[in-house]
Amino acid sequence: MVDALTEAHRILVERGVFVDARPDSRVLARVRARSARGRVIGTVGTQRPTKTDDVMSDRAVREVLRRKLFRSRRRGRLWHAIPFEDEAELNDYLRDHLRFSRRVEWRVPRARRHNPLFVERAVRFKILEKRSNDGLTSA
Amino acid sequence: MFPGGLGYLRPPAEIELGAYGLDLRGLRVADIGTGEGRLALGAARDAASVLAVDPDRGALARGRAEARRQGVSNVKFSEGAAQSLRLPDASFDVVIFSWTL
Repeated sequence: MVDALTEAHRILVERGVFVDARPDSRVLARVRARSARGRVIGTVGTQRPTKTDDVMSDRAVREVLRRKLFRSRRRGRLWHAIPFEDEAELNDYLRDHLRFSRRVEWRVPRARRHNPLFVERAVRFKILEKRSNDGLTSA
Repeated sequence: MFPGGLGYLRPPAEIELGAYGLDLRGLRVADIGTGEGRLALGAARDAASVLAVDPDRGALARGRAEARRQGVSNVKFSEGAAQSLRLPDASFDVVIFSWTL
């Protein structure tokens, strides 16, 4: 991961901008009913191996900041809602998903899980700026 | 369902790029791990040029087809891996890793 970030640094011009955006596995995805802004009726976590990968990615970003390859400019988060016709379609989707847990933690009984369903997840991003090569330090 | 194909499972490019708050006008952008070019094609609306890099040839082919369909001519799709980019030093103003690290 640090290799990839070092490559990004290499191909950027001085003070060029680097963006790292990923689903935020620290935050549970919310299952909403009826609309993307509907009531939260369940949550979906992230699989443990993916969480571990995300921690490694975070560590790699911290490492290139420590090496003074980049400086941090801004960070933020956006939310993205994925629609599903019903619970069966959502379960099919989760069955093969590489990031999400395989099952929903429902907060309401089945009778109150009104369709359609929307899985809203957080995507976090960091905007970094390439620092002068003069500031480079070894690992 | 998923009327926009698999790209529908990710935020629309204009939403994600808008959240970044970057002014891409006239800039050279590299979208590394582009997949089918969702963000690359979005960035191409403002950027001078976009290089869309991914190791998946099939995804790149779909991205090229979508670029043709949209009439986008300032995106180039190229096979490659983030860890070893065969690109010159200091050749981009913006590098994006979205769902890549």
